[in-house]
Amino acid sequence: MKKIRAILAAASLILLTACGGGGDSSTGSGGAQGAGGTTKVKVNVIPIIDVAPIYLGKEQGFFAEQGLEVELVTAQGGAAIVPAVVSGQVEFGFSNLTSLIIARSQQVPVKVVVAGAGSTGEQGKDFGGIVVKAGSPIKSAKDLEGKRVAVNTLNNINDTTVRASVRAAGGDPKKINFVELPFPDMLPALDKGTIDAAQVVEPFLATAVKNGDRVIASNYVDTAPKLTVAAYFTSEQLAQSNPDLVQRFAAAMKKSQQYAEENPDAVRKILPTYTKIDASLTESLTLPSFPTEIDPNSVETLTRLAVDDGLITTAPDGKELLP
Amino acid sequence: MTAAVTASGPRTGRRRHRPAPAWLLGLIGLAGLVAVVELVPRAGLVDERYLPPCSAMLAALAEQAGTAEFWTALLETLRGWAIGLAIALVAGVVLGIVIGSAPLLRAATASTIEFLRPIPSVALIPLAVLLFGTDMRSTLLLVVYASFWQVLVQVLYGVRDVDPVADQTARMYRFRPLTRVRKVIWPTALPYVMTGFRLGASVALILEITGELIIGSPGLGRQIAVAQSSGAVAPMYALVIVVGLIGVAVNVVARTAERRVLRWHPSVRTEVA
Repeated sequence: MKKIRAILAAASLILLTACGGGGDSSTGSGGAQGAGGTTKVKVNVIPIIDVAPIYLGKEQGFFAEQGLEVELVTAQGGAAIVPAVVSGQVEFGFSNLTSLIIARSQQVPVKVVVAGAGSTGEQGKDFGGIVVKAGSPIKSAKDLEGKRVAVNTLNNINDTTVRASVRAAGGDPKKINFVELPFPDMLPALDKGTIDAAQVVEPFLATAVKNGDRVIASNYVDTAPKLTVAAYFTSEQLAQSNPDLVQRFAAAMKKSQQYAEENPDAVRKILPTYTKIDASLTESLTLPSFPTEIDPNSVETLTRLAVDDGLITTAPDGKELLP
Repeated sequence: MTAAVTASGPRTGRRRHRPAPAWLLGLIGLAGLVAVVELVPRAGLVDERYLPPCSAMLAALAEQAGTAEFWTALLETLRGWAIGLAIALVAGVVLGIVIGSAPLLRAATASTIEFLRPIPSVALIPLAVLLFGTDMRSTLLLVVYASFWQVLVQVLYGVRDVDPVADQTARMYRFRPLTRVRKVIWPTALPYVMTGFRLGASVALILEITGELIIGSPGLGRQIAVAQSSGAVAPMYALVIVVGLIGVAVNVVARTAERRVLRWHPSVRTEVA
């Protein structure tokens, strides 16, 4: 499935670049003016823990305060979200930063609006990490040399950050054999021994720990002290044509992020409304941090990694990508 | 005495013996599958965490059946399927009859149809998302595209199958084109239309679920994807079971409709012939 998605992502990027700025759809861009002076905006999100703040913010009325009526539309991943945002079908979308850096370097007109989810910055206590079986001889990220390591998408944030972990541990990241597997398939593959290690995020990290697997490194922490992993973004067109709307969305979103950061219990409580994470697991989940600002260091680091690891050939202009 | 009993025993047995009805055999097969899915994880052949026993799936299904979310998703899937199939059916029949009854048009479009037909609907996902975002219209596009060709090709065959004598007779009697379609082409093409309908119905369901799964448009497919990304294994299989059941239901409905619609057909054809 991930492979299909990756192909689709590539295909859609080609399509987008081919279409250039031709995709100026009238339906979505700018948001439709609703009754009572509120603006309707659609946001494409992925049904994962990282987007809990936007659900909370909607529930708490932070968007209504800004005169926004948000409709949260779940999509299965960046492959569907990037084209939907750029073509103006939805106003905003959620994506990891590396995907946005790659898109921007390929001239896809995306613009980051506000931070989404970040690493907790605590080694061994992050929402994502590299896990191995309890009895595995792999003790540190350096031992991953020559091993098969599963990541959910090749040439994206997870393999570049795993490489960063290996570098930090003094190993040679070129010697890793990356295998592309969807998150849900990683732990069974680890059990069967078809892979030696897996980069997983919550809720699979908590499941792995519950199964007795061992976390050998926190790849996001190894990449940068407080790595911003994902962000909400819009199209350059909307950012230019309706900066006020984008600003209001950013303000409401920042408030939501802060609320989520301060109320982890509220985050755990809202999860069952849009995910199917087992209730017995929600308490043991490690939540990501919900930063209000994008760490410029993170963008710089992820861009450098993307260039170093050959994901892109030229680094995009940070000013074009960031708000 | 004993001989009489033993002799009459098998005979009455044979007299009473009738082949088991198809539905009973089907149920036995299903029970066998349930037993295998129940026992394989329990016996430890497959890890229970990744393939829970059937009872756990059914328990998860019961739990889901109590939520409004599940029924909304089910309705969204059925609605997408029905709308997509209806559009494909109407478009396929109309275009099929138009193209099929004009030899020039048929020759001109044959290569185009053969080119477009094998394109997998799934390959159109980026285009669908560009046009419609991640709502149900994206998936609808895939459903219509996939099932349209099934119907169109069948209708084209059906129109080609029209008895030339009957057709020329109708022309000689100066039937108006629409009357000709109704009285000559339609009765011949109908079995083909129904085959196209049956094939299209299954394909439409497959693409509806695929679209929901990959694009994330509303419906059971999206629920399956959410369950997957939540690591909720039993609820995911529960939804897969539901999709399977819909598939069975769609097939039954399509076959019943086919049998019903074609019941009068042979008599009509003998009259025409």
